[in-house]
Amino acid sequence: MGKQSNAQKLFLALVFIILYAPIFFLIFYSFNSNGTMSSFESFTWEHYAAVFDDTRLIMIVLNTVIVALLSALISTAIGVLGALAIVYLKNRKLRNTLLSLNNVLIVSPDVIIGASFLILFTAVGVRLGFASVLISHIAFSVPIVVLMVLPKLLEMSDSLIDAARDLGASGRDVLTRVIIPYIKPGIFAGFFLALTYSLDDFAVTFFVTGNGFSTLSVEIYSMARAGISLTINALSGLIFIVTIGLVLVYYALNRRNRTPVTGVKK
Amino acid sequence: MTQQPIIRFDNVSKRYNDDTTVLSNISFEMERGKFYTLLGPSGCGKTTILRLIAGFIEPSSGEIQFNGKKINEVPPNERQVNTVFQDYALFPHLNVFENVAFGLRIKKIKQAEVKRRVEEALRFVNLQGYENREISEMSGGQRQRVAIARAIVNDPEIILLDEPLSALDLKLRTEMQYELRELQQRLGKTFIFVTHDQEEALAMSDEIFVMNAGEIVQSGTPIDIYDEPINRFVADFIGESNIVDGVMIRDHLVRFAGKEFECVDAGLDTNEKIEVVIRPEDLEITSPERGKLIVTVDTQLFRGVHYELSTYDRDGNEWLVHSTRKAQVGDEIGLDFDPEAIHVMRLNESEEDFDRRLESYEVPDHAE
Repeated sequence: MGKQSNAQKLFLALVFIILYAPIFFLIFYSFNSNGTMSSFESFTWEHYAAVFDDTRLIMIVLNTVIVALLSALISTAIGVLGALAIVYLKNRKLRNTLLSLNNVLIVSPDVIIGASFLILFTAVGVRLGFASVLISHIAFSVPIVVLMVLPKLLEMSDSLIDAARDLGASGRDVLTRVIIPYIKPGIFAGFFLALTYSLDDFAVTFFVTGNGFSTLSVEIYSMARAGISLTINALSGLIFIVTIGLVLVYYALNRRNRTPVTGVKK
Repeated sequence: MTQQPIIRFDNVSKRYNDDTTVLSNISFEMERGKFYTLLGPSGCGKTTILRLIAGFIEPSSGEIQFNGKKINEVPPNERQVNTVFQDYALFPHLNVFENVAFGLRIKKIKQAEVKRRVEEALRFVNLQGYENREISEMSGGQRQRVAIARAIVNDPEIILLDEPLSALDLKLRTEMQYELRELQQRLGKTFIFVTHDQEEALAMSDEIFVMNAGEIVQSGTPIDIYDEPINRFVADFIGESNIVDGVMIRDHLVRFAGKEFECVDAGLDTNEKIEVVIRPEDLEITSPERGKLIVTVDTQLFRGVHYELSTYDRDGNEWLVHSTRKAQVGDEIGLDFDPEAIHVMRLNESEEDFDRRLESYEVPDHAE
């Protein structure tokens, strides 16, 4: 990369400051003993204590994580199979149709997906709660996984499959020993993307959640509507720190995966 | 021939979507332990034959036999055939050892034997010590060897090679020709090699099948095919050639370029229209008085081993000459050649008729 001029550096700094300022503003006031966000009085941990004292809030966090993990896992399984089916469909027309239908689901607004699921669940008679949230999260995650896995599958040369067959591999061997290892990066990317989509989804969850079940985003929304409470700030601060932790773990994993390739130099 | 052919094609055709015919009624036999080459321009169907033998595709009609048994519908993983692919098709997620071991692992062979056989195969292709390398760390030539090791480690009856040298540079390609030929002789396996490069085919093969437009045009040893091409296509495709129209006056006498010449060909009709082939290296430069043909030098290229002269006779026929002697552009020179250098080709002659005709007058010729 060439040298950056001062103007470029300034612009980049400005962009990042604007992007991160609200988050740090919010975290800053989570330590305010005053209880408002207008003036900083003195430092306190009490809002953080309040978060951990609130067992209901902890339950909601757990719900959110469980829904995210489950929906990401299930949608990854379905999405990988779906991508395989789309790629190995002989009928070109059907393949393109399926691909377009998949992409439509990704760009269509969450509000519409949420509302249509609400209508579906009430019509079929599914009780709104854990199951309805899980099902709808799986539904909007599957297309994402398909989209992440598909490029890897398309990039894979057909001769790899021919080679495996030629060397004695059955259809099952080809899948488990060649295709899945090859598209593994795509599968992981799909899984993590599905996980984050599920974790921060508000619109769809808002429609299909029922009495006694809530996820973090919906809860924070209702807390914010009820009035300013610095517990929200403390909770957001915690989530932010966990997110940063996850990003670091992701980078560490990525770097470890790459070492064998660049490892010749040592 | 008492030995059973290892591969037999019986009127095999391959059509896609019932309209595009890739192979039409191909029949041939291949003997065990020989090096065969399928040679032809791209799209001639040579790779299709390879894929039929490997089992990746099924014939539309006809029968393919392996050791006398019909194998039309046998899937590729149940055939004793291994392929070296054009793009090598090595598994990027496995290292060199595991790539070579892939077939053995599928067969659930014990680790100790896997290790022994993989190391032996890698030794065969001069890659000992590379076991733990990643594929991404290997050069093109090394990948090529890994692909060959991965095929031979399974001890198949036939090894198929789909233009495996086309991605290598010229020097490496020549080296690999020697190595492949030597490998085949050491292993004693049947090799079926697909290429569009006539030099590769001539250098390595026991037998060449020249293909064009989904048909086998001519088959035979490299020398037969080079010296006695059946028609203009083969003469043109294999090596450089001078092809002119002519008339067969009677046995052993042919007329072309406005003159009559003694030749060794016979068994044709009197006054039959034919084509004559003379290879550029069979033409010798001499003085115009002593030359059988008198031509004017148009261009001259230095090719390293020889000069390549493009010359024209008075009728406007082009004569390509390969000579170690130099000539002057614009000069009139004479061209001399032996009666054996003239090869007469009948128009639209089938391979059976061609072989029968050659045998009728060539056998005593060889016995002299």
